[in-house]
Amino acid sequence: MSGTDDKATGVQAFVPTRRTVLVLGAAAASTVVTVRPALAQTAGSVLNCEIPVPGPHAGGNFIAQDGSLVAPGTAGAAPPLARPLRGEEVRNLLRTGATPAGVDPTSAQAYANYIRRLQAGMSGFTCYASLQMPR
Amino acid sequence: MAGPVYIADEEAELTSVSLDGLCLLFHAPSGMTHIVATPAPEILAMLRSGPADAAELLRRLSAHYAFEGEAAAGALAARLEELESAGLVRRA
Repeated sequence: MSGTDDKATGVQAFVPTRRTVLVLGAAAASTVVTVRPALAQTAGSVLNCEIPVPGPHAGGNFIAQDGSLVAPGTAGAAPPLARPLRGEEVRNLLRTGATPAGVDPTSAQAYANYIRRLQAGMSGFTCYASLQMPR
Repeated sequence: MAGPVYIADEEAELTSVSLDGLCLLFHAPSGMTHIVATPAPEILAMLRSGPADAAELLRRLSAHYAFEGEAAAGALAARLEELESAGLVRRA
């Protein structure tokens, strides 16, 4: 296990140079197991945590459809939300596309993409990461 | 067939270590680690060349792989849903 010669440096290492048989598996078989990081919270607190859209670092900025921050008033971009979204609303938005109450449905995808792009240290990240925990 | 179009995060956001037959993926944006088995790494690799739906992914994979069985499209759609719920791919 300590050898480094055959260690792949990225998923590109999985593109083969010759044609091999790829088993896609039965539709019901799972191929992904997620390890919970230490910041996992209880289900109750996860659903009540809040994500400001955008965070205080970007107050006033609009949000483009791809989730990036753009200048206020940019055409086609979504305005900041007047209130933070609760964890449960975010979970439903990301999983089913359900628009939270009071949110413009045509802007919901922009907000969802903003949340997906949250990084460690940004307001709302811990809430978002916790929502992704499989139960 | 116009299924959902998927996109993967940039490779720089994913730290990958291949083990014997398995692959560990650390997804920096979410801080989560995933243990994935084939064909997940192969699907992620194919998504690097741009967003794709299941049919397009099947075309890209076909350039490199042969498939066993006839239900490849359905199984691939299921794999994409798994990767989406894990946060490794998202809808474009």
